[in-house]
Amino acid sequence: MFRKSREFWLLLLLMLLAGSSFAIQRFPRPEFETGYQQPETMLPGPRAEIMAVVDLAVLILALSAVSWMVLKKRSRKGVFWVSMFSLVYFGFYREGCICAVGSVQNVTLALFDPTYPIPLTVLAFFIIPLIFTLFFGRTFCAGVCPFGAMQDLVAFRPKTINSKVDAALGMMPYLYLGLAVLFAATGTDFIICRYDPFVGIFRINAGFSMLLFAAILLLTGIFIARPYCRYLCPYGVLLNWISRFSYRHMTITPAECINCRLCENSCPYGAIKIPNSVKYAETRRQRVRKLMFITLLFPFLMVGGGWAGSRLQETFAGVNRTVKLAKELLVSDQNGQDVESFEIKAFRSSGKPLTEVYQEARIILHRFLIGGWILGAFLGLTTGLMVAGKLLENHQSDYVPDKGACLSCARCTDYCPVMGNTMPTELNHKA
Amino acid sequence: MKSKIIIIAAIVMLIAIMGYMAWDLFLSAPPEAKNPWEYKVGDLKRVDSSILNYIEMKPFKPEMEEVHGVDVDSSGTIYVVGKNRVGIFGRDGNLKNSFPISGIGTCITMRNQLIYVGILDHIELFNMSGDRIKRWKRTAPGSVITSIAVNGNDVFLADAGNKMVYRYTAAGKLLNRIGQKDTVQNIPGFVIPSPYFDLAIGKDRTLWVVNPGRHSFEHYTMEGHLLNSWGSASNSTAGFCGCCNPTNFALLNDGSFVTSEKGIERIKIYSNEGVYRELVATPEMFAEGVKGLDLAVDPQGRILVLDPAKNQVRVFVRK
Ligand code: SF4
Ligand code: SF4
Repeated sequence: MFRKSREFWLLLLLMLLAGSSFAIQRFPRPEFETGYQQPETMLPGPRAEIMAVVDLAVLILALSAVSWMVLKKRSRKGVFWVSMFSLVYFGFYREGCICAVGSVQNVTLALFDPTYPIPLTVLAFFIIPLIFTLFFGRTFCAGVCPFGAMQDLVAFRPKTINSKVDAALGMMPYLYLGLAVLFAATGTDFIICRYDPFVGIFRINAGFSMLLFAAILLLTGIFIARPYCRYLCPYGVLLNWISRFSYRHMTITPAECINCRLCENSCPYGAIKIPNSVKYAETRRQRVRKLMFITLLFPFLMVGGGWAGSRLQETFAGVNRTVKLAKELLVSDQNGQDVESFEIKAFRSSGKPLTEVYQEARIILHRFLIGGWILGAFLGLTTGLMVAGKLLENHQSDYVPDKGACLSCARCTDYCPVMGNTMPTELNHKA
Repeated sequence: MKSKIIIIAAIVMLIAIMGYMAWDLFLSAPPEAKNPWEYKVGDLKRVDSSILNYIEMKPFKPEMEEVHGVDVDSSGTIYVVGKNRVGIFGRDGNLKNSFPISGIGTCITMRNQLIYVGILDHIELFNMSGDRIKRWKRTAPGSVITSIAVNGNDVFLADAGNKMVYRYTAAGKLLNRIGQKDTVQNIPGFVIPSPYFDLAIGKDRTLWVVNPGRHSFEHYTMEGHLLNSWGSASNSTAGFCGCCNPTNFALLNDGSFVTSEKGIERIKIYSNEGVYRELVATPEMFAEGVKGLDLAVDPQGRILVLDPAKNQVRVFVRK
C-alpha cells in the first residue's frame, strides 16, 4: 500500500516537472480512457473450401443445361431461365467474383510471374467455358455469364448497327484484351476488374464513376444488345476464336434452310450470316493478286503495329506504380518541389534506396517495350485477319450463325418455320 | 430517322465510355500532392467576421507565466489563476492584488469572500488578501480539477482525471458524486479525452456540466439526477466538432451559454435551451491550436476570454 502511494507521488512529481518544463502542456493530462470497451476485431472467416467445389459444379451444370437447351431442345425460354439463375448465383450471390472474364488476367500473371499462386478454381473458371465452347459454341455467353444475362435483361429495343461501325467497334475487345494481358503480365494492374461495370451492381456498392459507367452501358444496351459483350469483353475474344472451331455449334434451322428470310433480322447481335447471292468467278490473276496483297499486308500491319506499340512504351508504363513513383521522384529531385506527393513521402520514409526504384522502373520499362511490340503486332494480325476474311469470303447459300460472333442465345430458332427434331450433321459443317 | 438518332446516340455513349477508360488509365492527373486522409479544418475555420455582434475591447495581461482560469464576481472584479499565482484585477484590468500559490492553478472561483483555487489535484481556499484559509485533501488518486462552482453551501468540483463531478459542503465534506454512468437513471457518463471539463451553476440553481466527448451539456440536480441535456456533434458552426468540445463555458446573465472550443478556436452563444444563437469570436482571432479558452461573464454582460496563447484576458462586448 505504502509503496503504491509512494510511487504515485513520485509519478505526480515527475508529471509536474514535465508540465512546468514544457510550457505547451497545460498540466498532466488525465488518462485517455473513455471506458469504451474496444470490441474484438472480427475477421470474416474464409469461405469453406467445399464452396469452391460447389461453384465449379454449378458452373459445369449450368453450362451443360444451356448447351442442352440450345442444341437439343432449341429452347430460348430454357436458355433464358438458366441465364437468370446464373445472374442470381454468379452475379448477385457470388458478387461477380469469381468470373471467367477477369480470370484472363490471373492466368496471364501466373504465366509471367512464377511466384503468383493461381487458385485452381480461377484456372477452372478460365478453362471450362473455353472447353464447352470448343464443343458447343458460346453457350457460356448464352446462359452462364452473369454479365451477358444482365445485359440481356435490358435489351428491349435492339437496333441493327451499320456493319462498318460494327466492325470498327468490334476491334475494341482485341485492344482491351491486349492491354489487359500486357498490364497483367507486367504485374501492373488488373484493368478488366478496374473497369468492370457490373460488379458494383452485383455488390450493390460502387463509386460514382463505376455506377455511371454501368448506367450508360445498360442504357446503351436497350438499343445495342449486349454492348459490353460485343465491343469490350476481352474473354469474348477467346470464346469467339474457339467457337469458330466448335465441334457442334447451334444452327438456326433444325433441318435444311429454305431461304425464307424469316430469321434475317432475328439476331439482336447481328450474328447471322446472310447468303451472298451471286459470287462472280475470279480470274486466276485476280486471285493471285489478292493473295499477294494479303501476304504483304500481314507483315506490314504486324511490323507497323509493333513499331507503333513500342512507341507507346512510356504511356503504357506510366500506369505502373513503380514507374510512376520513379518518374515523380525524378521530377521532385530535379525541380525541388515544395509539396511532395503522398506516395513520395511514403517512399522516403521507407528508407529504400532511390537507385533501387530507378532500377526496378528501368526493368519494367523494358518489359513494356517488348510488350508494346507484341501488343502492336497482335492488333496488326487481328486487323489483317479481318481484312483477309472479308477478301476471301466464300460463297454461302444459307442463313447461318457467324460461329465466332454468335452467342448461342437461341433467339433465331424461334423464327425458323422448318420443322425437324434432329439436326443433320452435314449442317454443322456448313455452319 | 428516329431509330438512326438513337443508334448514333448509343454509339456515342459507348465511345464516350471507352474514351473515359483510356483517359482514366493513361491521362488522368497524378495523385494529389497532399495527404488525402489529412484532417483539414481550414475551410471550417473561415467565417465572415462582419456577421459578429460583438467587438473586442482592449485586453489586459495578467502578468503571470501561464494562465489557466478566470472568474468574475458580482462587483465585476476579475480573478485569474495560472502557474504559481493568482491575480485580482479591477473591471478595467488594473491590478488590485496578487498572491502566490504553490503549483499550477487550474481553475478559480470567488464566492462569499473566499477564493477557491484548483491546484491540479486538490483545491485551496484563500481570503481576499491572499492568505490561505484551507487546503482540502485530494478526493481521489489521479484527480485533475478543472472547474469549481459554488452554490450556497455546496461546492462542485469537475475532476477531468476521474471523469466525475464532486459535490462538497463549504466545509470540505464530500456529499455525493455526479455523472457516474448509470443506465437505470439514463446517465451516459462523462467522456473526457483531454483535460477540459467545465461546469457552472445555472440561474435556477441547478448544475450544468459539459460532457465534451459527447459534445453536449448535461443538466443535473444537486443530488446528481440528470434532468436533460443538449448539444450535437457537427462540423457546422451550430454544432461542436472534433474529439471533445466545447472545452469551456460560462453562463450569460439571461441564462444562455457562452462556449469556447479547441481545434476550431471560436466563441459562440447558445440560448438557455441550447439553440445556437451567434458567434462572438471567430477562429482568425485566435492563435492556431490554442486550447482551454476559459470564459467568464461580468455583471455588465461583457464576455471575458482567457487566452493562454497571448497570455491575456480578452474582453468582448456587444456592439
Ligand atoms: S462476351 Fe464476355 S461478357 Fe458477354 S457473355 Fe460472353 S464472356 Fe460474358
Ligand atoms: S443464336 Fe446466335 S445467331 Fe441466333 S440470335 Fe442468338 S446470337 Fe444471334
